Amino acid sequence: MSFRQGKGKHNFMTTDFRKLPPEPLEPVSFEIPKPFQTTLENGLRLIVIEHERLPLVSFRLAFNSGDVNDPDGWDGLSGAMTSMLSEGTAEYSSLQLAEKTERLGAGISASSSYDFTIVSASSLSLYSSDILRLMAEVVLRPTFPESELDLYRRNTVEHLKFQRSQPGFLAGEQAARLIYGDHPYSKVSPRADDIDRLTRESLVEFHARSIIPNNALFIVVGDVKRDEIVSEIKGLFGDWQPGTAPAPVARATPKRSERSLTIVDRPGSAQSNIVLTNLGVDRSDPDYFPLIVMNQVLGAGASSRVFMNLREEKGYTYGAYTRVDFKRLAGDVEATAEVRSAVTGESLKEFFYELDRIRNEDVAADELADAKNFLTGVFPIRAETQEGLTNLIVNQYLYGLPENYLQTYRDNVDAVTIDDVRRVANKHFRPDEMAIVIVGDAEEVLPQASEYAGTVEVFDTEGNIQDVAKYANAADASTADVAGKWALSIDFQGQQLPVSLTLEQNGESVTGVLETMLGDGKIADGTVSGNKLSATANAEMQGQPIEFAIVGKIDGNAMSGTLTAPIVPEPLPFSGTRS
Amino acid sequence: MTDTFRLPPLEIEEYKLANGLRVVLNPDNAIPVVSIAVYYNVGSRNERDGRTGFAHLFEHMMFQGSENVPKAGHFQHIMKAGGTMNGTTSSERTNYYETLPASQLPLALWLESDRMKSLAVTQENLDNQREAVKEEKRLRYDNQPYGQIFDLINEMIYKNFANSHSTIGSMEHLDEATVEDVQDFFRIYYAPNNAVITLSGAFESANAKSLIETYFGDIPSQPLPPDLDVTEPPEVAMTYKEWEDKLAPFPAFLIGWKIPQRRTPEFHALYLAGKVLYDGESSRLYQKLVKGQEAVIQLFGFTDERRGPSSIFIGAIPKPEEDLSKIRETIMQEILDLATHGPTAEEMEKIENQLLNDSVRLRQSSMSRAQQLAEFALYDGDPTLINTELDELLAVTAEQIRMAAAHYLNTENRALLDVVPAGKG
Repeated sequence: MSFRQGKGKHNFMTTDFRKLPPEPLEPVSFEIPKPFQTTLENGLRLIVIEHERLPLVSFRLAFNSGDVNDPDGWDGLSGAMTSMLSEGTAEYSSLQLAEKTERLGAGISASSSYDFTIVSASSLSLYSSDILRLMAEVVLRPTFPESELDLYRRNTVEHLKFQRSQPGFLAGEQAARLIYGDHPYSKVSPRADDIDRLTRESLVEFHARSIIPNNALFIVVGDVKRDEIVSEIKGLFGDWQPGTAPAPVARATPKRSERSLTIVDRPGSAQSNIVLTNLGVDRSDPDYFPLIVMNQVLGAGASSRVFMNLREEKGYTYGAYTRVDFKRLAGDVEATAEVRSAVTGESLKEFFYELDRIRNEDVAADELADAKNFLTGVFPIRAETQEGLTNLIVNQYLYGLPENYLQTYRDNVDAVTIDDVRRVANKHFRPDEMAIVIVGDAEEVLPQASEYAGTVEVFDTEGNIQDVAKYANAADASTADVAGKWALSIDFQGQQLPVSLTLEQNGESVTGVLETMLGDGKIADGTVSGNKLSATANAEMQGQPIEFAIVGKIDGNAMSGTLTAPIVPEPLPFSGTRS
Repeated sequence: MTDTFRLPPLEIEEYKLANGLRVVLNPDNAIPVVSIAVYYNVGSRNERDGRTGFAHLFEHMMFQGSENVPKAGHFQHIMKAGGTMNGTTSSERTNYYETLPASQLPLALWLESDRMKSLAVTQENLDNQREAVKEEKRLRYDNQPYGQIFDLINEMIYKNFANSHSTIGSMEHLDEATVEDVQDFFRIYYAPNNAVITLSGAFESANAKSLIETYFGDIPSQPLPPDLDVTEPPEVAMTYKEWEDKLAPFPAFLIGWKIPQRRTPEFHALYLAGKVLYDGESSRLYQKLVKGQEAVIQLFGFTDERRGPSSIFIGAIPKPEEDLSKIRETIMQEILDLATHGPTAEEMEKIENQLLNDSVRLRQSSMSRAQQLAEFALYDGDPTLINTELDELLAVTAEQIRMAAAHYLNTENRALLDVVPAGKG
């Protein structure tokens, strides 16, 4: 056995070896393979890594332009042009392209993001030449057939409707609008009228302008011979004419001076989808390494602070995270969680607590070391697959990072100090100007969350602004009159059980008695807020004290709501009238 | 062209500790990382009525600490060592896995053995994880459009309770789980003789064996879990159901068929029939429904692979104005065509290349290898099937695919779930 028996470490001869985590074995060094680089005469940069481990090859052609390069008034143009690349070319129809590619067991895909446009292909290395020829066909000679564009338009419009049923999409849409204003990063998705406006001519013209070799990078990773693949790529892509790429439409982001609350009303939502966000920095910012280390401590993973607090300690959510997003022109920071509706306010409190803590207190030395160990340790795991290795290399080149970026990554992470963490937390996470976005049941969310922000706005899921008063009525408008005797019926597993509730009201305070078949409970400290009643009845059953929580909504002489007791697993719905 | 293609076989060593723990080693030094997978032979199929969701709740409990690892310490230890980890629960098994820098193999073995030996089952941990699981249910199922349709159709396909109930379980049953239940579950199912551990990646075999013996060798074995009956009659339990989905923006439907268990020639043939029907843009149904008729927004299909009776699904989200029954007719028409004429020569070539491509691709990461090896070891008692399963699939003929489609898919014995949007608009 090659164990080192260090100080205070276990000894396998004793039974105590389980007490402490074992010492690691000798570390094994890992080097990212050095890529071969060349540039074709038309400006196409070529990067090849010979990777013979398995008979596979991955190609990636990445353009330094994306959705932000959409011309003014043409949102969705990059996305449409990219999606349509494989829907018909000079030589093949859409169906023929799909058949030819899939018959090789291979795949070609194309997509655009805010900053980049990427065409990827992968196959068994034995089909390397075939897939490369298809890739050239798709990139250089797409025809954007009218019938396929028509289908794309109609499917995309339906897809845009579908997105509106996803709470995550709705939250992201509002967050981007609040942080980026008129900047193109504010558009998480084009709108239906943007898609309807697209024409075949606009795609042809935009393809000619933006799909150019001198704005692109061609990366090959796989079981190929470098010289052969370079000469094949030269043969297929060498005559491709260079041009001038369309410039991104960069606009200033709005200046935020106070905390705001934006609710997207999704009536009946079982959960609140929470996003807290403020403007961050772009990918070239010198705070990149301190920020990723800080974020690892704060909320990047399952051992980070917000996850430990909101999920592991409080059980409010399945997951709570923070994220730092660096894009080419700007960036943002976020804290997110999907929590059950009733703890929306409590979750905001814990998020702000954690933000204040990392801003005001030094991170512990071991917590910092753990975060760094994670970031450096997972690095080789990311390089296990050809796709993973390609991703690392693509990002380095597209963002214009130094040549030795991957080789010095570890040192840059290790260099981050305790002071750096506190400094970048203060500089880039700014709770006082954060936008709070919550997708959930507005009536339930508003009273819980309004105290955390200076301004409040409510939208429906279509993005139409709503009258806040409509929801606030429930909370702060005229206090409902609840006094009197209520005959209510509780739905207990399909059975209707009668109960009676007798209430006395003094302003917003309520006292009274809950009478049930099982016994009576006394209400000492109930409250009415708007048209919502909230009270606890203390009863005794078989000598045991038991607490019933009542939440009701008053509508004139009618009341409906839920009754919760520790003896029943789920809140019991009730409804009834005042006699 | 592919006659010359040979998948490089993996180096595999397999043995058993005295306490019954099965060990599979797959050394591969290409990248200095190591993956560890521990598979317990317990899934939702082992749950009884009144305790659904229990296998999955228990998976959460396994991250709540053990004698020498504090609550949530598992995450912390793995992450600070630069690793990744998770656990998942299916009908068939519960798995736990981590990938770490190669030097951290002892840490993974220490963590996995400590919880196998001495899990901390406390009321507080149980209450807390019950809440996390309920949030997971709300997030992934209750609060998602179409989030419950796969659980619903399983209840329609299977008659045997072991097969038909959902893995996430019911809120009521989760609430009824007691600490004693959890302790019993641990003793019965989380014994070394009910588990497989697989190592794949950069390690030295002799060293790994000695570490495994040290950490796992003294965990006592237990009497085998009770026998499980997953047998099913051939008929589905219910052929039609309408489901009102408050969150769904569009109508949708899902068709499910009951088919023979995994790794039978029939299952293999149906898996390949599925590729012909719905896999990729050149597949028959994509070309008919998304392209040709332009009738659906989304088309999907897959096989659910089980050790007992299994299932295959085809579903679609049609465009709002489309006639759903016409779309289903098209699907059944294509199935009839496949059942009558079988796949074409071009389709067989596509299948062959896709199988080769998939199997090479799945060998790239140590975690993917560790998981496949663990499944073959646990389900089939033979991890070396990872080296031969490809040949089994490649041996399936067009005629076998035709016959399987004719017998199992071209039949009225299927379940249809209609999803009706019931929101406020």
